[in-house]
Amino acid sequence: MTKLLKLEYYKNLNYRPFKVFTILYFAILIVFLFIGLIDFDLFGEPINLKEQGIYNFPEIWNFTTWIVALLKIFLGLIIVFSICQEFSDRMFKQNTIDGLSRKEFIGSKLLTISIFTIVSTIIVFAITMFLGYQYSNTTEPAKVFGEIFFIGNYFLKLFTFFCFLMFLSILLRKSIFVFLAFFVFWIAESILSGIEVFTKIKGLQGAQRNEVLQNDFFISHLLPLESMSNLIPNPMARLNMAKMMGIKYEFHYPTESLIACLVWCTIFIFASYWILRKRDW
Amino acid sequence: MIYDNSVTFLNLYRLLLCKTNYMEKILSVKNLTKKFKRVVVNNISFDVEKGNVYGLLGPNGSGKSTTFGMLLSTINPTSGDWYWFGKKGTDPDTLKKIGAIIEQPNFYPYLSAETNLKIVAEIKHTPYSRIEEVLKTVGLYERRKDTFKTFSLGMKQRLAIASAMLNNPEVLILDEPTNGLDPEGIIQIREIISNIAKQGITIIIASHLLDEIEKICSHVIVLKEGTSLYCGRVDEITSNNGYFELKADNNTQLLNALNELQWFTAINQEEDMIKAHVRDDESISASTLNQKLTEKGIFLSHLNKKKLSLESQFLELVKNTK
Repeated sequence: MTKLLKLEYYKNLNYRPFKVFTILYFAILIVFLFIGLIDFDLFGEPINLKEQGIYNFPEIWNFTTWIVALLKIFLGLIIVFSICQEFSDRMFKQNTIDGLSRKEFIGSKLLTISIFTIVSTIIVFAITMFLGYQYSNTTEPAKVFGEIFFIGNYFLKLFTFFCFLMFLSILLRKSIFVFLAFFVFWIAESILSGIEVFTKIKGLQGAQRNEVLQNDFFISHLLPLESMSNLIPNPMARLNMAKMMGIKYEFHYPTESLIACLVWCTIFIFASYWILRKRDW
Repeated sequence: MIYDNSVTFLNLYRLLLCKTNYMEKILSVKNLTKKFKRVVVNNISFDVEKGNVYGLLGPNGSGKSTTFGMLLSTINPTSGDWYWFGKKGTDPDTLKKIGAIIEQPNFYPYLSAETNLKIVAEIKHTPYSRIEEVLKTVGLYERRKDTFKTFSLGMKQRLAIASAMLNNPEVLILDEPTNGLDPEGIIQIREIISNIAKQGITIIIASHLLDEIEKICSHVIVLKEGTSLYCGRVDEITSNNGYFELKADNNTQLLNALNELQWFTAINQEEDMIKAHVRDDESISASTLNQKLTEKGIFLSHLNKKKLSLESQFLELVKNTK
């Protein structure tokens, strides 16, 4: 464990993309968390997200985790670059010859992923707590901890996402191909889930349609990117503005997405290991 | 008398020790085969004994690097087995006893020589104190803080040797260690290698530079298109076949006489010099030949017995199997 940690430390310490994106990520992360404090224009009207209640317990957990999860691509870039670099410099081969086992290699990469995910989760947790106590209209413990599971979901969401990128990096070995594959995968998933939704609600009207959308089981929700995004649903319906407009917010805990994410993590990790074993380097 | 005896016994004892030491197998390869789309390594078998320097010879694309890849666990074999130190296959612990340089020096380009070696030391569980020692051995200690990408090819190759020597390996595998180096770099690498060989470390070295193999290796394995053509001592491959250079006042007469003797595989005339290659199963000294020719009334103005170099031997071997 310390050995793998040291290896990753030496490998990444002086790797420029690694440093740049890490600093960029954590800086933007913190800025994004404070986004509610500034006013900005939306369709000519000034909007302040704090006024819209994003910093109120318990909604704040949903808001902050959803907003900062958009930034995960920065960390994703770091993971992809640092893994692909192992293959482009033939370092994976050299490490293997020096006596690093495939398991240790995967282990060291998972360690980096875990550290990033944990640090990011802790920062989000701490700042959310701070913002909540600072600006929330209530600080009753029941409300404060009511939706704290979003922090756990956030952790799993990031971890699954990075495992997915690790798998693609090991499969394709060139960062440019990884990004291409990722976008193709993304579009393919959107199309698939669009088709499924379309076939389910075809011919249905109003309330019936909402009923289906809310309660039916969608197989496409089990796809990797879909299940990740379902872990933290879009919170825009929880804005005061939306409440005033009469949009009803209903939330079901995404248990099937949670299980799907855990299964995907396992698949990605073992598939990565299998590729490292089976391929000739 | 007593003194004499003890010396003989001591020598005998030494000889025995030598013999057992000699027989210790570092590596034993049995029927190793690798097929990609075509057969790259075809059913090769050889043994590597402790303390010797082995040359793996073969033209480009003859399967040298693939063989090393399999022995170092980076390439999965199609079939066949091998044993490192009597243990089947290659696991990470075995690799820690091996130092290897493959094709070209691989290091993280953006890290310093020292940090790169720290990574290797971590993988091999070697104390960091060795880093200074090996860097001094290859003469890179002064440059230890510089990033790898600023190094010249010769320095990169020396760093690779330092890295391979980091854990005091029992075996050193070198794949084309002097490839692409300038004459000075080649000499430096060759000196480092022969110093390592003197320490009694077993070395397996792949090269297509034959004079290099001839200079440092005690044994050779000759590969061609994935098949092993020869496996044995260098002096055996170079000693059995030799040739004579002859000249006489009447070369036509000399040619006829040599043909009649039937000791030679080939006799050819180059300008006014005749080259006669001795058959494998014959051993003729220059004086025997001279005597025979004198009996036939031919007096030579030039007679010279020459050994084939490894290079011509190798070319001969490779040509014969076409």
